[in-house]
Amino acid sequence: MNWRKWNRWLHRELGYLFFGMTIIYGISGIALNHHVARHWDADIISRSDEYTLLLPSVKDSVDRSTVESILEVTGERSSFKNYYFPDEHTLMIYLKGGHIDVDLSSGRIRVTTVRHRPLFREIDYLHYNKPKKLWTWFSDLFAIALILMAVSGIIMLKGKNGLTGHGGILVLAGILIPLLFLLIHLWL
Amino acid sequence: MMLVVAALAGACNRSDRQEGQEASQRQETVSATVEELLSAPADYRDKEVAVSGMVTHVCRHGGQKCFILAGDGETQLRVVTGGEIEEFETSLEGSMVAFRGIFRIGETVEVSAEEAETGEHHTGDMPHSEAEQSDYFIEATEFREVTP
Repeated sequence: MNWRKWNRWLHRELGYLFFGMTIIYGISGIALNHHVARHWDADIISRSDEYTLLLPSVKDSVDRSTVESILEVTGERSSFKNYYFPDEHTLMIYLKGGHIDVDLSSGRIRVTTVRHRPLFREIDYLHYNKPKKLWTWFSDLFAIALILMAVSGIIMLKGKNGLTGHGGILVLAGILIPLLFLLIHLWL
Repeated sequence: MMLVVAALAGACNRSDRQEGQEASQRQETVSATVEELLSAPADYRDKEVAVSGMVTHVCRHGGQKCFILAGDGETQLRVVTGGEIEEFETSLEGSMVAFRGIFRIGETVEVSAEEAETGEHHTGDMPHSEAEQSDYFIEATEFREVTP
C-alpha cells in the first residue's frame, strides 16, 4: 500500500470519527463570532415586554402590595424571587428566569425573561471545555485530528486538482485571507 | 501483626490530626454581615469569613464576580470567584446566598479591554458601581443558595 492510500485512509477515518465534533465546534464557532461582533449571547433567549402602571414615585411609598400588583399585571406571580431598590426611583424585582425593572417616576415596567436556547447551551458547554478532565484530552485529540485532516486533505490528490494546480491556488488564498486581515487590523 | 497494628494506629493518628486541623480551620471562619465587614475592614483582612446576602448582579462576562446586598438595602459588596468555584450563574440574581471566603483589601481591579468595551465593568452608573470599584471584596471559596 503506497503512502497516498494510507493518507486517504487516515483522512477518511478521522473524518468519520470527528464528524460530530466538527459540527459542534463549527456551530459554536459561529455563535462565538457573533458574540464578539455584536454581543449576541447564543446560550440564552431573552424577551422583553413593557407595561405602564400608576405607581408610587418614590421607594418609601412602595411596599409588598405594590410589588404584588406589578407581579399580577405582568403575570409573573409564580416566578417571584425577591426585590430591592437600586435607587430612589427604581425598583428591581427578581424572577426565576428573569427580572422586572420598574421606573417608579414614570410607572414604566419592563419585564425581561431569559431561558436557555436549546442545543447552543450544550455545544457551548463543550466548546468552552466546561467538563474539563477527559474532555480536554478528547478535544485536544480533535484539534490534532483537524490538523492531520487539513494536511492529508491537501496532499490527497495529484495533478491539476492537486496542490501543484488548482488546489494550491485555493490553499494559498486560504492562507492569504487571514494574513490580509492581520495586516489591516493588527499589524498596520 | 504488630507492624500492621502500628501502621493502623499511625493512620488513625494522622486522620485525627487532619480532622483536628480541619476543625480548627473551620473555627477560624468568622461570621459577619456586609456592614460589619465594611465598617471594620482591617479586622477581617485576609481572614476567612462567612457572609450572606441577596445577589443583586452577576457579571455577564464569565460570571467571575457578583454583588451582594447589605441589610441596609443599599450597600453592596463584591464577591469574586476563588478556590474551586469556576463561575457564578446569573440565576443567582435575587437569591439569598451564603458565601465562605477570604476578605481582601486593596487589590486593584483590572478592567479588561473587552469589559470596558461592553460596559460590563461599570464605572459609576450602576447600583453596584461603588462595590465594583471598592478595595474591599470577598474571594469566595464556597457558596450555597439559601433561598431560591
